[in-house]
Amino acid sequence: MNDQTTNPSGLIACLVIYEIGSTTLFLQAAEAKQDAWIAMTLASAAAFFLLAMYLAMHRQDPDRDLFALCRAYLGSWAGTACGFLFVGYFAYESSRNLRDLVELTSQVLLNQTPLFIIAMITIIVVANTARYGARMLFLCTLVLLPFLLMGYALLIVMLASQQMIHAESLLPMLENGWRPVFKAAFPELVSFPFGQTVLFLVFFPLVRTGTPGFSRSVYLTYGGVSLFLIAMNQLTVFVLGQSIAENVTFPLLESVQLIEFSQVFERMDILFVFVLFLGLGTKLAAFFIGAATGFSQLSGIGYRKGILPLAALIFGLSFLSPNYTHHIWVGKAVTYWFTIFQIALPLLLFIAMQINGGKKGRGHG
Amino acid sequence: MNVTEKPAAPSIVERLRYQLGGSSDFIVRFIHEDPKDPFMYAVCYIDGLVDKNLLAFLLEAVAAEARDESGLPPDLPMSLASRVPVGALTDADSDDALVQAMLNGEAVIVGTGLTGGLCVAIPGGPSRSVEEPSSQTVVRGPKDGFTENLADNLSLVRRRLRTPHLRIEDRVVGRYTRTKVAVVYIEGIVQPVILDELRRRLDAIDIDGILESGYIEELIQDTAWTPFPTIHNTERPDTVAGHLLEGHAAVLVDGTPFALIVPVTFFKFFLSSEDYYQRHDIASFVRIIRFIAFFVSLLLPSLYIAVTTFQQEMIPTTMLISLAAQREGIPLPALLEALLMELTFEVIREAGIRMPRVIGPAISIVGALVLGQAAVQAGLVSGAMVIIVSFTAIASFVIPALGMSAAIRLMRFLLMALAGSFGLFGILAGMIPLLLHLVSLRSFGIPYLLPVAPLKWRNFRDLFVRLPWRALKERPAVIGSRNPRRQPRTGPKKEENRT
Repeated sequence: MNDQTTNPSGLIACLVIYEIGSTTLFLQAAEAKQDAWIAMTLASAAAFFLLAMYLAMHRQDPDRDLFALCRAYLGSWAGTACGFLFVGYFAYESSRNLRDLVELTSQVLLNQTPLFIIAMITIIVVANTARYGARMLFLCTLVLLPFLLMGYALLIVMLASQQMIHAESLLPMLENGWRPVFKAAFPELVSFPFGQTVLFLVFFPLVRTGTPGFSRSVYLTYGGVSLFLIAMNQLTVFVLGQSIAENVTFPLLESVQLIEFSQVFERMDILFVFVLFLGLGTKLAAFFIGAATGFSQLSGIGYRKGILPLAALIFGLSFLSPNYTHHIWVGKAVTYWFTIFQIALPLLLFIAMQINGGKKGRGHG
Repeated sequence: MNVTEKPAAPSIVERLRYQLGGSSDFIVRFIHEDPKDPFMYAVCYIDGLVDKNLLAFLLEAVAAEARDESGLPPDLPMSLASRVPVGALTDADSDDALVQAMLNGEAVIVGTGLTGGLCVAIPGGPSRSVEEPSSQTVVRGPKDGFTENLADNLSLVRRRLRTPHLRIEDRVVGRYTRTKVAVVYIEGIVQPVILDELRRRLDAIDIDGILESGYIEELIQDTAWTPFPTIHNTERPDTVAGHLLEGHAAVLVDGTPFALIVPVTFFKFFLSSEDYYQRHDIASFVRIIRFIAFFVSLLLPSLYIAVTTFQQEMIPTTMLISLAAQREGIPLPALLEALLMELTFEVIREAGIRMPRVIGPAISIVGALVLGQAAVQAGLVSGAMVIIVSFTAIASFVIPALGMSAAIRLMRFLLMALAGSFGLFGILAGMIPLLLHLVSLRSFGIPYLLPVAPLKWRNFRDLFVRLPWRALKERPAVIGSRNPRRQPRTGPKKEENRT
């Protein structure tokens, strides 16, 4: 009864949570100041073409996932190398998310618990999630999505009802011209968060994508989530103002803390951390599963056997940075390099697919 | 007609007696004209397994046959069959079959001119009458419940579904208990895949005894490694009928009032048959209350522990002060305090089920007053904790299915331990694996969280809320999707006009 779990609704839910992920945690396009929304719109539009390219690749060969595509169209040797690069990329992204989650936990919930214990618990939970495979993650996100959306909706309603949204901070528009906007948008914003949909090349073959509405619903989801992310980012600026938003670690949590329900709820940020956890955790697990899938496909080691070493690897990678500031700084630096995985390699693969398209035929299905 | 001591030993009766090891409840009635003659007929049965009144009829009929002047007719079973006034008649050739027939509550007629024997089904013996179900009660709705008698139970179901499409398949499970197990379904609605799987799993059972449907439940469920029930059980014939109409299949087991229903999804355990008898808005409200109760029962103690131990800043100041004042002087940390109280409650609860009814009031006094009131006054536990534990306990009784609330109880303890060591983070770290476990569970191949994950919008009409019947024109997707229409597409009024 496989047809039950190959329903694409789970993948769509996963895409939503994955894209929201950790994005709301940080202030995006801080360099663009009040024009962050323009930068984000540009970046998301650019990444939209990337997504369209990924989907076109999938449609051309719907039975192969990213790693199989690499091997089929780039040749065995180069394809395997390229696949391992992707595994490394996914594992590293996963470790970055793990560190974010751990730092968030440590700052808001468990101040006295050592980081490695929090990281250990998290990686156990996530490795257990990965053990069930991507389809189960999709089903899981279907259950979690309503809670996530409710959390954000509640947040927006409460911020609005307490008149904390100061939309006038949108002005003056394009104060410093287009240059800082472009600088913020490319390539940084394209790479994070919008370009990370490259991971879904691993997941598309798992669900029934042949239905005519599938591509449309992916595009709609992507568009909706992008709008949401732009709005949330701007909302943080509206509530906190540009200078505070730029300088606090978790600006969204900072703005949640301003909400006061006299005598009923205090410190709403603690509850809101859960909403962030859902996004972070899903992203973490999705990258983990992507890496584990690639690892088992390329090395021939069973999927479940690869989980434990991969968990250890990601756990270790998350402690590369001595402190959180360094972690954030590295994050800014590596986003430039990540365009290799989001644009260069997929483009190469895409071109190879166009050239070899006729020869290779369709996948093993 | 005379009944006397044993005449010259007829071999077949002796063989039967030998097979039963001379058990004292094996009764033979010899029927013959002349005491010196070898008997003409013998009626053998097991005392207590046959109905005494029907047996009297039967003996009379056999005696009349024996008195018949024509002697032994050539077609004896036929002639006897026309005279025997009661019960289903079957022929049996082998001794084993005859013994088995007796053990099934049949009387066996053997005769000098007969090769095998004639079995007359006159089952009887002590049985409980139809009473109100004790485990699943309703305010509005039928009050009859299943009994321990399979035939009665089947008739209760059949009486609700007077359609030729209702199918009952019998089989016998258990090498020693030889328990009758009936698979019940409605042809044309049930999914053949599920039915075949059910038959396959039932046929695969090889066990010495089945004493309750719980044996069957464990032996045919998809996985044993889960606290969550993946097979529904009910004492209510109307619940069985309702599920059959939705495309489920039921398994009725002789000797227990609990019928099994397969497949079942997580959300089914939060529905009661009364939801369909009440007004839809009230039923929807009650359902939402049940889902809230589910979360309360699962999470309330652990949330309390997490917030009071790790995240006190979440509590408003005045409440925090009052909580702190209560906890002042309490020697235990919140986790131990909660575990102590939960454990106490579990003991009281178990005692309440096992103890003789007579001492019930004594236990409730000890439980409520001594352990609740006195523990607070003695400063062993805080008043707030008693409230939390009591509310959790009451909330767990709102869930209509006992199996589900038992699973939630187990999970509650795990979550409490996690909350006590890692606070809210620990609760989340426990909830995610729990969710994954639920998502990966299957009941006869059907995903456990079906209408939510994977998503089936059609089933949402009868899930968290129940829409009015006029909006429920279709059976739930997947389980009953073979024959999806419950009502014609047009409203019931138009239907009347047409006829």
